[in-house]
Amino acid sequence: MFGRSRRDGLIAWAMLAPALLVLAGFYLYPTGYGLWISLTDLNLLRLRQGGSFVGLANYEAVLGDSEFWRVMWRTAFWLTAVSVLLRVVLGLGLALLLESAAIRRAKLRTPLRLALIVPWATPAIVAVATWRWLLDPQFGAINRALVWLGLLREPHPFLADTATVWPTLLLILVWNTLPVATLAFVAALQSVPRELAEAAALDGAGRAGIFRAVTWPHIAPTVLIVAMLLVFWTFNNFVYVWLTTGGGPGRFTNVLAVEVYVRGFIDFQLGASATIGMVMAVAMAIFGAIYMRFAGRRVLGNAP
Amino acid sequence: MKRPFGWLDAVLVAIALAAMLFLLYPAVVIFTGSVQTSATLFDPGRFAFTWDNYVRLFDSGFGRFLGNSVAICLAAVFLSTLLSAMAAYVLSRRRLRGRRLLLGAILAGQLFPWIVLVTPLFILFARLGLTNSYAGIVFCYTAISIPFSLYMLLGYLDSIPRELDEAAAIDGCGLPGILRHVIAPLLVPGLVATATYAFLLCWTEYLFALAFLTRAGMKTLPLGLAAFFGENTTDWGAVMAASAVTTLPALLLFLPLQWRMTSGLAAGGVKQ
Repeated sequence: MFGRSRRDGLIAWAMLAPALLVLAGFYLYPTGYGLWISLTDLNLLRLRQGGSFVGLANYEAVLGDSEFWRVMWRTAFWLTAVSVLLRVVLGLGLALLLESAAIRRAKLRTPLRLALIVPWATPAIVAVATWRWLLDPQFGAINRALVWLGLLREPHPFLADTATVWPTLLLILVWNTLPVATLAFVAALQSVPRELAEAAALDGAGRAGIFRAVTWPHIAPTVLIVAMLLVFWTFNNFVYVWLTTGGGPGRFTNVLAVEVYVRGFIDFQLGASATIGMVMAVAMAIFGAIYMRFAGRRVLGNAP
Repeated sequence: MKRPFGWLDAVLVAIALAAMLFLLYPAVVIFTGSVQTSATLFDPGRFAFTWDNYVRLFDSGFGRFLGNSVAICLAAVFLSTLLSAMAAYVLSRRRLRGRRLLLGAILAGQLFPWIVLVTPLFILFARLGLTNSYAGIVFCYTAISIPFSLYMLLGYLDSIPRELDEAAAIDGCGLPGILRHVIAPLLVPGLVATATYAFLLCWTEYLFALAFLTRAGMKTLPLGLAAFFGENTTDWGAVMAASAVTTLPALLLFLPLQWRMTSGLAAGGVKQ
């Protein structure tokens, strides 16, 4: 409760200021500073001397490098597009399953929801550690099971083979992050008015018809927003690839976030590292603008 | 109108059971693996109970990482919740010019790629002597927690009627009194939920810790756990024990909270 007095105005700003200062100091200033660093040849070993201004040389070098575009493609396609699509489709499927009459009657609703919370609460590093253990060619349970079932002749190093490394990486990522999407979809499904579905059923609509005419229009805004959030979080994600493969085998699973870290903290080229970060930020801004252009009205205007 | 349990229902139940196995099995492996002797860990048919993995883990200095994580996360959660609550109160109760823009900018912070911030922040921290310091990492963790904390608390505050503030003000209660006697008691559930999420975010954070905490004595749990890899032979028993130590607090905090909150949070958070 604030009055109109000058004093209350000052108090209001004094309460707002600490949070805003922390945010500005953490997000705004480093972003601007990063833009400046990306125009220099600053090296980690010569941090004290500082770098010298090189104009757009870093951008020319990065954008002119065909390897960079391969990394960009991997990040956009494998890490982001495939994994987001998987999570949206599987998450929607699981959410519909969770809300289905069969699961309710089998009294599996609570156990399934409980099971969804467990991977969500598991830290990424633990998820990676555990799956690496399960996938271990020598001792892992997965290889043992596949060999025992006769599906594999001998244990397979899933994370060391270029044919299997991406699907395996995505398996770990999806296991860890599928529950967030699923539970958001469950919440959206619960907001669909039951009378509408029942009315449609009385009118002779089948399951698919009810989904298309009643359920989907109600949950579409949530699905579109969750998909967008997942794209932002995944495109910039560092931990899964870094901890699972370190970008390998070779540089086969190298993605942009790993490249930023490796360039800056292993190759010591802070200027080039900041440049790639800036390119990522611009790519996300462009994606966000296009996405909102096409999906924005559904997301904001059509909400139930 | 009970239908008989048809074959389609049976298929759905089978899928649900398979999904549960997929979701739970890795977590079960962590906890059972962490209390198995190394001889039985590598032999699927046998199981022999032992605390050895934990003893070995803490003998190797893992307690230090645990202590660091607890101290850093608690400090960051306290700061971010306090700052967010103050700011959210102002945003909830006072008409500000540029309020929408401000909220949009804060939400953008939630989407902002951390990886972009790592390099410039590292340089700034190095110049200020904040790398390998509690102050530096607490600052980072406070900042990454504020955007969603502010949004969550704003939701809780907006649900507390303004009339309560006004009634207290008419009774001659000043702003500090209103905050202490009216708002704070009603905001407790919101503060607890927000602080829990902030704690989990900080507890599992890896990137900033990796970049800014390079000295062994400063490292947090996720870094300590990751350090078990990369050597030629991985001590899987210790990895399982370390995983259990890292996951258990998160699970114990998350389960009760999520149990109550799933629908409310997802609906409110997603449809802002």
